[in-house]
Amino acid sequence: MKKFNITVNGNAYEVEVEEIGGASAPAPVARPAVAPRAAAPKAAPKKAAPKVAAPAGGNSVTAPMPGTILDIKVNEGDTVESGQVLLILEAMKMENEIMAPAGGKVVSIHTSKGASVSAGDVLIVLG
Amino acid sequence: MANNKIEDLRKRRETINMGGGVKRIEKQHANGKLTARERMNLLFDEGTFVELDAFVKHRCTNFGMEKQDNPGEGVVTGYGMVDGRLVYAFAQDFTVVGGSLGEMHAAKICKVQENALKVGAPIVGMNDSGGARIQEAVDALSGYGRIFYNNTIASGVIPQISVIMGPCAGGAVYSPALTDFIYMVDKTSQMFITGPQVIKTVTGEEVTAEALGGAMTHNSVSGCAQFIDANDEECIAQIRRLLSFLPSNNMETAPAFETEDDVNRLIPELDDILPDNPNKPYDMLDVIGKIVDDGDFYEVQPHFAKNIITCFARINGESVGIIANQPKFLAGCLDISASDKSARFIRTCDAYNIPLLNIVDVPGFLPGTNQEYGGIIRHGAKMLYAYSEATVPKVTLIVRKAYGGSYLAMCSKELGADIVMAWPSAEIAVMGPQGAANIIFRNDIKNAQNPAEERAKKIAEYTAEFATPYKAAERGYVDDVIEPNASRPRLVDAFNMLASKREVRPAKKHGNIPL
Repeated sequence: MKKFNITVNGNAYEVEVEEIGGASAPAPVARPAVAPRAAAPKAAPKKAAPKVAAPAGGNSVTAPMPGTILDIKVNEGDTVESGQVLLILEAMKMENEIMAPAGGKVVSIHTSKGASVSAGDVLIVLG
Repeated sequence: MANNKIEDLRKRRETINMGGGVKRIEKQHANGKLTARERMNLLFDEGTFVELDAFVKHRCTNFGMEKQDNPGEGVVTGYGMVDGRLVYAFAQDFTVVGGSLGEMHAAKICKVQENALKVGAPIVGMNDSGGARIQEAVDALSGYGRIFYNNTIASGVIPQISVIMGPCAGGAVYSPALTDFIYMVDKTSQMFITGPQVIKTVTGEEVTAEALGGAMTHNSVSGCAQFIDANDEECIAQIRRLLSFLPSNNMETAPAFETEDDVNRLIPELDDILPDNPNKPYDMLDVIGKIVDDGDFYEVQPHFAKNIITCFARINGESVGIIANQPKFLAGCLDISASDKSARFIRTCDAYNIPLLNIVDVPGFLPGTNQEYGGIIRHGAKMLYAYSEATVPKVTLIVRKAYGGSYLAMCSKELGADIVMAWPSAEIAVMGPQGAANIIFRNDIKNAQNPAEERAKKIAEYTAEFATPYKAAERGYVDDVIEPNASRPRLVDAFNMLASKREVRPAKKHGNIPL
């Protein structure tokens, strides 16, 4: 931990700075994950990041519009064909059938019955 | 005349007809593409193609160009018949200096554009060009500019159809973009303003030409193209089909065809085509197919904004443009892309005197920040504008949902629909029963002993009372509530009745459609 006195526009500030992960100062194992957040400046409001990043190579099925998941028609590990109904999304006064854009295996399901989803949320990843 | 002069002419023409020569023609074929002349011959009825300007030569002397002879200047132009109707066309010849556009190449295109406009005939432009002929410098640029100007002047006067059958990059894309319809041939055509290499240098993004500007990209993602076809032959056959739905110019109506399909045909299947649960989707294309002549319709932009269908069809042998919500996709709601797609189609139909049929099952406008930030207000406004502005016969058939602003946007009575008909299943209301009950009966629900039960009761009450066609019919917003099975005879009758419609608008330079 190092202490600095900094003057900005005539105002003096006392600032403590901790160097992390430097070659000379091995940081505690648990710390680095937390420390960067403390050190990072408070940025402008963060953009809502998509809940799940699609794994590379996978074919992710996303919610076309905001709504509620009414039913999930497949299980992880199922083999699906292109155009098969994967889940039912209730949105815009309609029970919308969300279909597989291509055939493949259901790698993972990222939503559940009754869940509210936003447009663009990854619902299912096909492999 | 001495025979040797005729011999000489024949020789000259033979050279020109061979374009870039046997080798390049073979290469064109190996790439799955036809040559410009083969395309012209396919487009026109056999033996009707008349070529113009075959002997035109460039006059560039930069970079040793004076020594270069380009047969036909890299573009074939002329006119002919399509199903017995006059059509102009040009086809860029990729076998001649890559179909590159120079001053005289452009002059040939401009001449057919101007002729087509003068006689009021459609023009088809087949693009297959490496771009501007760099050696010709600003003369090439000037050529593009003249073509754009002609495209704009002819817009709304004669149908202009562009076909992308090879590369079309940079400024060249704007001539197609200014025309009424763009066809693209799958796998062999690309359109972009800046190609993959420039994009990589400037932004670091890596993308293939096909992914960036291929036929499917523009048909499904950007919405820049209206049609995609597997190869040149199919594409040209489809262009001939499209022309059959269009008049030759804005002073005429589209050709009428004799039909065997009975105008009084009842369609009992329509009585139960809608699912019992109003929240279940169905395929609107089935409804359209049952109503129109011989079940035959031609979708425009079938891969883009699938939540709205735009298609040409015939009813009683006469061309109509159909705009219909598709409950199968995005619940059939209106969003930015659907608004753009339909507004453009409505204006195309209005410009060419093609009556409009609007089949409505619309739950509302799609909510979301990306819609609002993307400008759904100004995009949605295009639909209202296009419908209000259109003076062709406008007939609206409400089959199920018609809620709020989206009901108006689908050409309600107020936007000038001449006839509005509704099936008994129609739900014409300011908002859905759930939302409405929550607001109107908020206190009743809150104060009830069992709020959930009270809420369900109020929703049922509202549904029975207001989610029907009869409130709108009481006011005359709906002209008639009809049995679904009678849809075809009633539509035939409505369009017959409206055939002599005249509507005069205040004189103005032009309107100011939100863009």
